[in-house]
Formats: sequence, structure tokens, C-alpha cells
Amino acid sequence: MKSFAGLTILLILAIPAYAEESVTIPLAEYNAIIKRLDAMQGQLTELDSLRKRVEELERHGGLPASRQPEEHQAQVTRDINTLYNSVDDLETKQAKNMLNFGGELRTRVDGYRAESYTSSNMNTFQELVQEGVEPHQAREQSTTYYESTTDNNNWTNRFRINMDAQISESLSFHGRLSMYKNWSDSDDGSSGDMLNDWNASHWPGSSNLWVDRAYVDWTPAGLPIPIALTVGRHPSSDGPPLEFKENRLRQSTYPGLIIDGEADGIVLTFGLEKLIGWKNTGLRFAYGKGYHSDDDSIIGTTFPFLDDSETGDSDMFAGFFESEIPGIKNSMMVLSYVRARDLPFRLGESANNLLDIPNQNVGDLDIWGAHFQTRDFLDSGLDFFLSYGGNRSRPNGNAPGAIFGLLSDDGLEPHSGYSLYGGLRYTLPYAPLNRPKLGFEYNHGSKYWFSMTMGTAELFNKLATRGDVYDVYYIQQVDKHLFFRLGYMHADYSHTRSGCYLTSPQPSNASLSNYYLLMDVRF
Amino acid sequence: MYWKPFICLCMLTCLLWATAAIAPAGEGGKLFIQKCGSCHQQGGKVKPVNPADKAEVVWQKYFKRDRHPVKLSTIGSDDELAHILEYLQQHAADSDFPEAAAIPRG
Repeated sequence: MKSFAGLTILLILAIPAYAEESVTIPLAEYNAIIKRLDAMQGQLTELDSLRKRVEELERHGGLPASRQPEEHQAQVTRDINTLYNSVDDLETKQAKNMLNFGGELRTRVDGYRAESYTSSNMNTFQELVQEGVEPHQAREQSTTYYESTTDNNNWTNRFRINMDAQISESLSFHGRLSMYKNWSDSDDGSSGDMLNDWNASHWPGSSNLWVDRAYVDWTPAGLPIPIALTVGRHPSSDGPPLEFKENRLRQSTYPGLIIDGEADGIVLTFGLEKLIGWKNTGLRFAYGKGYHSDDDSIIGTTFPFLDDSETGDSDMFAGFFESEIPGIKNSMMVLSYVRARDLPFRLGESANNLLDIPNQNVGDLDIWGAHFQTRDFLDSGLDFFLSYGGNRSRPNGNAPGAIFGLLSDDGLEPHSGYSLYGGLRYTLPYAPLNRPKLGFEYNHGSKYWFSMTMGTAELFNKLATRGDVYDVYYIQQVDKHLFFRLGYMHADYSHTRSGCYLTSPQPSNASLSNYYLLMDVRF
Repeated sequence: MYWKPFICLCMLTCLLWATAAIAPAGEGGKLFIQKCGSCHQQGGKVKPVNPADKAEVVWQKYFKRDRHPVKLSTIGSDDELAHILEYLQQHAADSDFPEAAAIPRG
């Protein structure tokens, strides 16, 4: 399977580059745009006619008395005033209503089959260590092996409210509120009612409202090199190439293999297109927090907002260079580098921490990547991408619990990992079915592979997999607001602890199969 | 700790400067109550009006189009009218400080 994927990508890359300047969009979108333009043209004609009449009236101070009876003239004046008042009200309302809203609803049903996998029990591990068992042996003894488990009726709802505002010429805002839950998920309630998801929004409980994104872009004018400063909770999830599978436009600044999550920070972008001459060229520098914990869990503390002074903050610094690949239209390449400093180990206090294992940071991690993708290659309807990611740990010698070092047990040895992620999507040229799309993706992660992909749109962290993942899907567009996706994913794990930077990965024969159907509505 | 009164004094000075900077709007506010409020009041000749009734750009268009039923030149001088317009725009519906009750509606 790996050879097939690699050969396909090589064949595609061997096709000569193409460099004509044009834009290609699906027919349905084109027709919708033409329809909207026609409607707007009609409105503009009407508005123009009205404006001319008003201007004529303003020039003549109303209709010439010689041409109209006095009564009729008074009526026309009243009508114009009524029109003016309505326009005033509308303009005032428009000026006040800065925020535009949109929505997304996704309902998805999943089936899973997990085989030959293991699961660890942290409490058992600690109890064994307390009894005097050596930590490595305790880890083995607290691990349970499962032959196979299936879950064929797993339904979820995801609802998002998208917001944007053009605050001024140089300032814009984007935001997203989100809900994502299992149907009737009642295992996290505290109402004392087993069916507590039935009244989650009807009973007083929590003030939680999940903010997925909330950021402003400031693009000051008049600078020799255009810059944009992005501040807030960033667009850092569902990045390239995940938009192919998500059937939408690019959603994030960062490549999905490197960062896919909800991140707070500041990004400074320099627009270098004019300087270098390559289309869409930009250089970004980002600063954010990977982790922060304060003292608000300590009862009686005077200043609960102060850092808890245990693990400390995990700071993240990153740089990205991106551009269209010269000579290939609709293409993109992104080179990434991320330094995650002082990654935390935190087990918390009291009941969860029987051994009183210290909460401390375990070291730094470098993550880097190169991403290439192109859409509608040579007008063939074929989109494809290739992404590479690498990582190297810089442990600081801390190994809480004697086995929770950075990508190691002892926290002494640095380790390197990598991941390859490639895929393609083909838009079938069959208009009666609204040009459905077929996609295939493959990714392979090595033993020590780790990147910041915790915010994946899938229920399991596919791109964190240490092993191989095969992913095939079919997208059926119904209209511009509605589509269905049918898919199958299979993961073969070579090592444990995928998506976790703590402890040493152990060999694994686990596998996970996932088939699903989802309905997605955007408006 | 002796620097605290100094900081307070500096902040007070800045506040006074800021107040002085927006003094024309204060003048406009007084003129608005005096000139416009004589007719635009509860139980008056016409219904009450306030800056937050319209957006900034709408006030501008309103007077540019000469839509006020009574000739403005009979209400005040050009300077006074300019102060009133400035006040209306500074406290319009889409401003940072919309004023909706300078003339009470009852």
C-alpha cells in the first residue's frame, strides 16, 4: 500500500508544471455567483434609477410646479421623506450591526473496531509502585490487553457559529463558537440524573461556551512591506491539506500535520509577494502558549491567577514560509519550524496522584515540516498533497514517576521522529450527481513521531499515529449548503502512546478500523 | 511609595487635557439642548430627538440634503450649527459613546 501511494504521488509530481493565470471553481458555485450577480445588477439598476430621481428632485427642489399640480407635489415630497427616513433607519442599523453570523451543523455516525490493543491504568500503576514494584514492571502489570472491541452506533453532533466583522479598513475580526458532543452524552454530568444530557441547556449548570476561534487581523496601511498582525485565539485547526477532506476552503494558517488545534497567540505576517515575485508569498512569526496552569485550583489562595510555579508555562515559537509553487497554479508550499519549550507533566493533586509525583516540565521539542499541495492540477479535477513532518526531543533529565520522561522513560536520551502524509482527491466530472469527490489519504508515523495535532476533526488523532493509516472517502454534494461524506479509515499501530510526548513508546500490534457517514450543513 | 501621588497627579493632568480636547462636543451638547430641545421635547412641537437616533454618516447626509423641515439658519449661526452636528456625530448610534437620552423621551 505504501509503495502504491508513493508511486502515485511520484507519477503526479512528474507531470509538467502549468502556469496559466485563471481561476477554476465548481459549476454549482459559478452558477450561484452568476445568479447573485444578476440579482445585484437588478438592484443596482433600481437603486441607480432612484438615485437619479432623488438627485433631480434635489437639483430642482422638488418637481417643477409648472409640471405638477400642487397637491401632487406635496405628496411626492412626503413620499421622498418617507423613503429618506426608511433609508436612514436601515443605514443606522447597518452601521450598528458589525457582526455577521453564519452556522455549521454536522451530524455523524461512526462504527469502530479496535483489535490487539492495550490500555494502561494509572491508579493501578501507582498502587503497584506503592507496594514496592519497580516502575517499569508496574507499567507492564497495570496494562490490560484487549483482543477486540467494536462500537457500531456512535453518533455525534457538532454545531458552530461563525462570526466576522470588518471593524475598519485595517481591522477585522473572526470568531467561532462551538459545540461538539456525543448524542446524549451523560457521563460527565453532576446533576444526579443519569439522563443529564436531556436537560443540559434547560437546567442551570455551567456558564461554559466553547470559543474555538476569536482573533483580530490588523493590517496597517502605508508600510513598505505589507504586514498583518493576528492576535487572539487563532485559526490553527483544520489547516492544509485537511480542507480537501473537509470539502471547504483553507481553514488555518498552519499545515495540519504540524499544528491542528486551538491555539492562543500572536502572529506577525510579512507579505513578500512584491519583494520576491512569487504569488502568495509570506513569512510568519508566531508566539503562543502551549500550556499554562495557575493557582485557581488551590482553595484559599490569595492570588489564584498566579502561575502555579510547578510545571511553569510551555511557550511556543514558530516560523513559517509559504508561497504558491512557481509555475503551478492553485498550488501552495509551506515550510514550518516550531519550538515547543518546557512541555509539562501534570498529574494533579490528591486522589489522582497517589505517589505524589511532582508536576514538572520534561523538556523542549523541535517540530519542522515541508508541505506541498495543488488543487485541480492541469484542470484535471485532481487535487493532491504531500506533507513531511519531523521532530526531535530535548529532554531536561526530568522523569516524573521514573518512566514519564520526554519521549523516553528516563528523560535523558533525545529522540527523533518523522511522519509522511500524502493523498489525492478527484472530482468526478459527472454533473447529474453534482460532481462528487473521491479521496484517498495515507500517513505513516515513526516510533517517536509527535506533533501538535490534538484538535483534529476526527474522533481519533489520525495524524499522530505511530504506524500506518489508510483513509478513503466519498463526498456527495447536494447543493452549496449540504453535503454527505462516507468514509473508511484503517490504522495499524507500530508503537503505543500515539499523540503523547511522555514515556517511551512500546511496540504494538494494535489496529483501529473506522467507517462513518456524516451530513454537513453550512449557511 | 512616594511616587504614587505623582502618578495620580500625572493621570489627573492627562484626564484634564483629554477633557479639554473634547470641549467642542460639550459646547455642542449645550447648544443641542438649547437650540434643538426648544422644539424637540416631550409634549413639544415635535417629538424628542437624540444623537443615537441615527448613525454618524446618516446625520451628515441628513443635513447635507437639507432635510430639516425648519430652515436651520433661523435656529443658529453656522458656527453653532457646526458644533451641534459635531456633537450629533460624536454621540451617534455607531459611535463609542451613543447618547440616547440627552432630551428625555419621558
